[in-house]
Amino acid sequence: MFNRLRQILPPWHKDRRSEASNETLPADCSVDPALGDALDDDFTAESPPADGVKSLVDQMLAHHRCALLLRPQIAQNLTPELYAEAKQALNESMGLVPTGNVYLEPSVFDADYRAFASENSDRPHEFTVVVQSVYLDRYLVTNRQFQKFVNAGGYEEMAIWDEEIWPAVLDFTDQTEQPGPRFWKNGRYRSGEANLPVVGISWYEAVAYARWVGKRLPTEAEWVKAGSWPITLSPQTHLQRKYPWGDTFDRGKANIWGSKPARIVAVEEFSEGASVGGLYQLIGNVWEWTATTLETDPQPEEAVQGYETLLKTIRGGAFDTYFEHQANCHFSSGENPIFRKHNIGFRCALSICDIAVRPDEPLADAAQHVEALPDEILPNELANHTADQVIEEMPT
Amino acid sequence: MTNAVLPLDSYRLAQYAVQVPCYICEQGNAFDAELCRHCQAPMALARQVHMQKILPQMIATVGSSGVGKTVYLGMLLDMLSRMPDQIQIVARGAFSVTLQQNVMQSLARCEFPAKTPNEPDRWNWVHCQVRHPKVKDPFELIMPDVAGEALLEEVEHPFSYLAIRSFLMKCGGAMILVDTTCLDSGKRAQDYFTLKLLTYLSELDNDEKTSWQNRPVALVFSKADQCEDCFDDPQIYAQRHTAALWQFCRERFRRHKFFAAGVAGGTAMRTAPGVGRVRAPLRIEPRGIIEPFTWIVGQVMAKSQQPTGWTIKRQK
Repeated sequence: MFNRLRQILPPWHKDRRSEASNETLPADCSVDPALGDALDDDFTAESPPADGVKSLVDQMLAHHRCALLLRPQIAQNLTPELYAEAKQALNESMGLVPTGNVYLEPSVFDADYRAFASENSDRPHEFTVVVQSVYLDRYLVTNRQFQKFVNAGGYEEMAIWDEEIWPAVLDFTDQTEQPGPRFWKNGRYRSGEANLPVVGISWYEAVAYARWVGKRLPTEAEWVKAGSWPITLSPQTHLQRKYPWGDTFDRGKANIWGSKPARIVAVEEFSEGASVGGLYQLIGNVWEWTATTLETDPQPEEAVQGYETLLKTIRGGAFDTYFEHQANCHFSSGENPIFRKHNIGFRCALSICDIAVRPDEPLADAAQHVEALPDEILPNELANHTADQVIEEMPT
Repeated sequence: MTNAVLPLDSYRLAQYAVQVPCYICEQGNAFDAELCRHCQAPMALARQVHMQKILPQMIATVGSSGVGKTVYLGMLLDMLSRMPDQIQIVARGAFSVTLQQNVMQSLARCEFPAKTPNEPDRWNWVHCQVRHPKVKDPFELIMPDVAGEALLEEVEHPFSYLAIRSFLMKCGGAMILVDTTCLDSGKRAQDYFTLKLLTYLSELDNDEKTSWQNRPVALVFSKADQCEDCFDDPQIYAQRHTAALWQFCRERFRRHKFFAAGVAGGTAMRTAPGVGRVRAPLRIEPRGIIEPFTWIVGQVMAKSQQPTGWTIKRQK
């Protein structure tokens, strides 16, 4: 796979780790170094067949790896048709979260919580962060999608795993000691569970999968912004939803304890609870790993030994979450990144600056320019503009 | 000069002359006593029994201090009161709801409830009505939240807590909680305490028909959310991690079963205002809470419709 991918990489990509090649990349964008290592390690100099590009693109799209195809250094070598095909796949599988501010309520376990609870409760702007435009998967990663990663040898491709976790990767096995999520058997998901979100995976497995498809895990702020869809009317007026559908909980719109299924359901169910941006099951069904670290107070035994386990934040609640207020856009929990729980899955994110943008694309695809737009242009008007038009309208 | 009529209280003397038996220890008390003067159990239980003319069943939830008895009971009550299609629980009296209320309010704030005091008069004696899908008529049930330290004291020094002894004598079955996190860390204290407790139970009643050998005992590995293996097969987990306990149960208790339960999906340290650094639940996702209770209620009801260990006659 990596050999074939390399066939459509531009020549400079061979030396992209050199300083000169980095200048070729767009500002504040970088190719994942781990992924790059994987490409380099498997690189061979054999020349590709002329019609190999199309089949490769098809294969990558079948593996839900359109994000890789849209990396600037790859996309510029695709024909317009193939590029459009990849872009369509991206738009179908991911929803865009526009640039803007989001208010992050600190977790009760966070050191910031004390300040939030006492001194700064009347100054919520101190807990507001800016999120750049980002794509998030419309659906949680399913067993079927993860199966492709397992089949492609994702657990053996050490370059996409964090180095500190290498010794533990061998231990990430299923019930029959095959590489794969904890509840699988013989390296396969159980029959009838293809469209269920993959669970029983550690944070590191989620990160490795995300890298394999050319994406990453969303940060906590990105996740909250996707769900609560905040609107800043003025510097003092900030509207933000509690749930993706509004401010009142509705058991018909999210799968938590007390909702009828009482088990994990397919990723496309509970469609009424989708966010404004068209993201499904942000609330309920399974918790979602995020890239953010939850810095709790050290454990007593850890304090003595001088180390501590940093938890990774999980968001959204699961099918067995008991309290409604723990399954909303503001509540965050944490989990040991190495634990493989029955109710934690993930969805991937992709920074908009990590994908190629062509001048003739609709505005939604050029959302990195949104933050530079004049204030009087409201987001709903932007849909009628093309990227070129907006860029022309932008102040110099 | 006043025209007020002074009440003639002589009938009260007659009421005082008749001793009202405590429902737990069966010792006599004044008719208006709030607590039993012998065991400190609430006399409200006896009054409710007298009014309803039904002897409630009793099921014990016991274990060492900090094992999670209060959280387990509170969670169980709250879950069953919200599930119409399974076993249902309806509280009897406001004081029966207190435990449920305290636990839920604490958990909702990402805190564990305060430690149960040692004094029996400060325990929450939950009295409720249970509707079981396999049992035609609803039945009454008493499940106190006993303090772990008091229980340990009674086990080590019998008769130091009459309420505990009397209560365990009459229980139809017991759910014994064992802390999984302690077992996982290799600490044997849980193992030894549970063995002491089981020994105590087995010596409470020597009658071959009513002894604890024939009463159902559910051994519940609490805090199992910290150990996923425990959920996979509690029986095998018991065999591997608490061999002595597993063997003892096989020898002494004919009706026993191992379960795994967890309330918090995970825990972490947090600094709570005015309390300092405490361990707290990261989120609430109950697992395996209802299963032990369902099993033990089924066992108790299958054995007999009559409460166990009673010396007084069923009131009609």
